[in-house]
Amino acid sequence: MIVENEAQVVEAVREARERRTTLEIVGGGTRRTFGRPIECETVLDVSRLSGIVNYEPEELILTLKPGTPLAEIETLLSANGQRLGFDPQDWSVLLGSSGMSTIGGAVSCNADGPAAIRHGRVRDHLLGFRAVNGFGEAFKAGGRVVKNVTGFDIPKLVCGAMGTLCVLTELTFRVFPKPPETLCFAVRNLVPSRGLRLLKRVWSSPLDATGLAYLPPKSAEHFAQVADCGYGAALVRVEGTAASLAEKSAMLRDIVPGAEPLDAGADSFRRIGSGEIFAGSLLDITRMVLEPSMPSPYDGYEPPLKEEDWSLWIADWAGQLVWRSNTAGSSSGRVPVFDGGTALLRASVETRMRSHVFPPEEPARAALTRAVKAAFDPLGLFNPGRMYKDV
Amino acid sequence: MQSELYDPSILSRRDEIVARLKALVPDGVVSDRAGLKAFDGDALTAYRQSPLVCVLPRTKEEVAAVLKFASEAGVPIVPRGAGTSLSGGALPRGDAILIGLSRMNRILDVDLENRAVTVEPGVTNLAITRAVEAHGFYYAPDPSSQIACTIGGNIAENSGGLHCLKYGLTTNNLLSATLVTITGETVRLDNRGGYDLLGVVAGSEGLLGIVVEAKVRILPLAPVTRTLMAAFASVPDAGRCVAQVIAGGIVPAAMEFMDRRCIEAVEAYCAPGYPRGAEGVLIIDADGIKSEVDEAIARIAAIARGCGAEVREAVDEAERARIWAGRKSAFPAMGRLAPDMLCMDGTIPRRMLPRVLARMAEMADEYGLGFCNVFHAGDGNLHPLIIFDVMKEGELDRAEAFGADILRLCVEVGGVLTGEHGVGVEKRDLMPEMFSDADLAQQQRLKCAFDAAGLLNPGKVFPTLSACVEQGHMHVKGGRVPYPNLPRL
Repeated sequence: MIVENEAQVVEAVREARERRTTLEIVGGGTRRTFGRPIECETVLDVSRLSGIVNYEPEELILTLKPGTPLAEIETLLSANGQRLGFDPQDWSVLLGSSGMSTIGGAVSCNADGPAAIRHGRVRDHLLGFRAVNGFGEAFKAGGRVVKNVTGFDIPKLVCGAMGTLCVLTELTFRVFPKPPETLCFAVRNLVPSRGLRLLKRVWSSPLDATGLAYLPPKSAEHFAQVADCGYGAALVRVEGTAASLAEKSAMLRDIVPGAEPLDAGADSFRRIGSGEIFAGSLLDITRMVLEPSMPSPYDGYEPPLKEEDWSLWIADWAGQLVWRSNTAGSSSGRVPVFDGGTALLRASVETRMRSHVFPPEEPARAALTRAVKAAFDPLGLFNPGRMYKDV
Repeated sequence: MQSELYDPSILSRRDEIVARLKALVPDGVVSDRAGLKAFDGDALTAYRQSPLVCVLPRTKEEVAAVLKFASEAGVPIVPRGAGTSLSGGALPRGDAILIGLSRMNRILDVDLENRAVTVEPGVTNLAITRAVEAHGFYYAPDPSSQIACTIGGNIAENSGGLHCLKYGLTTNNLLSATLVTITGETVRLDNRGGYDLLGVVAGSEGLLGIVVEAKVRILPLAPVTRTLMAAFASVPDAGRCVAQVIAGGIVPAAMEFMDRRCIEAVEAYCAPGYPRGAEGVLIIDADGIKSEVDEAIARIAAIARGCGAEVREAVDEAERARIWAGRKSAFPAMGRLAPDMLCMDGTIPRRMLPRVLARMAEMADEYGLGFCNVFHAGDGNLHPLIIFDVMKEGELDRAEAFGADILRLCVEVGGVLTGEHGVGVEKRDLMPEMFSDADLAQQQRLKCAFDAAGLLNPGKVFPTLSACVEQGHMHVKGGRVPYPNLPRL
């Protein structure tokens, strides 16, 4: 069923309510294989809920419909010297999907990129939204100004909710000035522990780096500029005017004397954010968000002796985001590799059916999750089972 | 205050409730009339009410035990940090247990390498910065009450402050928290996966649970900070300047506005050296690395001069401190001049500043009340202070009506009712100005997901309370009828 406006979404949901039929909400369709496999009676195609509703560059506010392609947004904002701070990502190369990646999908899947380490995640940028809930009612939450505490902060809830709470029909973001220039640096021949420590030091400095990633050798092979990185490479991206970049370069060299300028570094960070280097892997791919104080699964990790056993992984966000292909024994074993911040981003239908895509929550939190789901969609109409079995 | 407004079945069980609480928190129950006087309200001073009883737990286990008891006994709970809410968020009820978190005031862990500090909810906002500043870090959200206000209250209200334009509100600086639900269950919340329950608890005004532990992010201190003062001959000129700075892609660390009346009051109070004779002044901080700060300051100064301002830079750290101390004392300074004050808190799109400022001045004339403007200009967050005398017949009503009109104006131009003070009791009845019945019903369903019996901080945020039902529609009936059980002055 194709919907073109909010009124049609209301109609579609009311019909689904009456008939007790479930809806799979699909925008560009590029992330459909992320989540537990679901079988719904109806596919609700929201890709035509697309376009800019209101863009005020001077106010740094953008309101648009969720089916708007990411590429279109980037073009528009770029032309005005602006961008979305959370660095939304298109995962279609990784997921092997075709179609246009949309902003609604990026919000629902928490698809944020390398610059989020500096500017915050999706949740920190979505100021307000409109949607249709499982009661078939159109509602709004949040606002269109940067500072607002009126009522519950429901915009936070829809970020990463995998479309299980409501059908989004309009989104309002804050946008950021786009710095005029970018510089990237690489520090080579670092084992994971040293690389991660170094990135953390840079993160704790006033450098305001917008990219802080570590690549082990097997991942570095996918980046021509750092292919010969020895035990691994740390990459740092800074942005600003020419004058500020000169100052930041000097500051970085004070912290890390071995930092060398990296050509085409911006493209490296684009490829780190999209996860595309994992596309050719036959293994399952997980994306794991860590609190800064949580030990990284790769802190203290020593690669296996045989090079062919080396695994593919990336630590972005100064170690707070870990992408990995799941090989047995591919981390130091210090923390579970599937803790609360993990999502099984790519796996076969069978695997996603059999195991968890999002790790099960402890009972008290799981109870809240179910109650929140019921507060928006009591009949379980929207993407049922996509996040957890009963959500 | 008339006690018959409250649930008589709870009032009649008071002795039993007090005894049970004393068993749960042996040295932390305040039940005598004189002792309770200290807890009879918050910084929304027009409202006063003594709680049924006040309990001051020291541990999360005690908080859980109190909530479990309240839940089983069907007694409402009002949470309180330091009682600095400007919207009546901590206003007690005569039939509710007031739970004060101020004794849970330990800093549990300082992790500089990972830029994280773990605290109990009663730790003050400023104490976090004090604990880490010697190492070159600070906690960014800085509400003006930061000496007193607690992190638990900051989370409940999603507090902002002078620097949130660049560094975000409390919610953007919160890594994880431990929540005790009304049934006494303890849940750890973060925003790493699953529904972002942490995000919705932040700013929920004590309606969803009680935070008993929080981990917050700290930031490295900026190497350079420079401060400008720009004096304007008219208020709309200052508004234009703000809009142009934001449109120019500059993100100052802070950009604060004060009008003439406020400048004079602050000068009389603590003499920070603000320009005399100006109709309005903007205080602007730029921070970061030297080259970026220098560029931002040069551009801001040029924009301000283009808007007709006289621009001056603070010459040293002492003057900077004086200028900011003056801004932070705007409320007490005005308080000396006015018998009573009402502080509003709407946010508007920044380009609407000139229009809204001009209209507010007209409205003040229409209501025959004095007011002054002091606000976080950078994010369009207005704090008009309405001056009145509660002893004069009808002035409180007029002041509240004027305040409500200001907030309606904020909503009308695309803004919101509250930028950082919260809805509380103060703006509760105005919620329908901004939200439809369907919007409010969705929020109330979310409330029910956490607190089906409606025991947590009842009478706050929502104009009417609906019973939680499992399914189906829950309409907010009427919408504008004030919550009948809530006592008013």
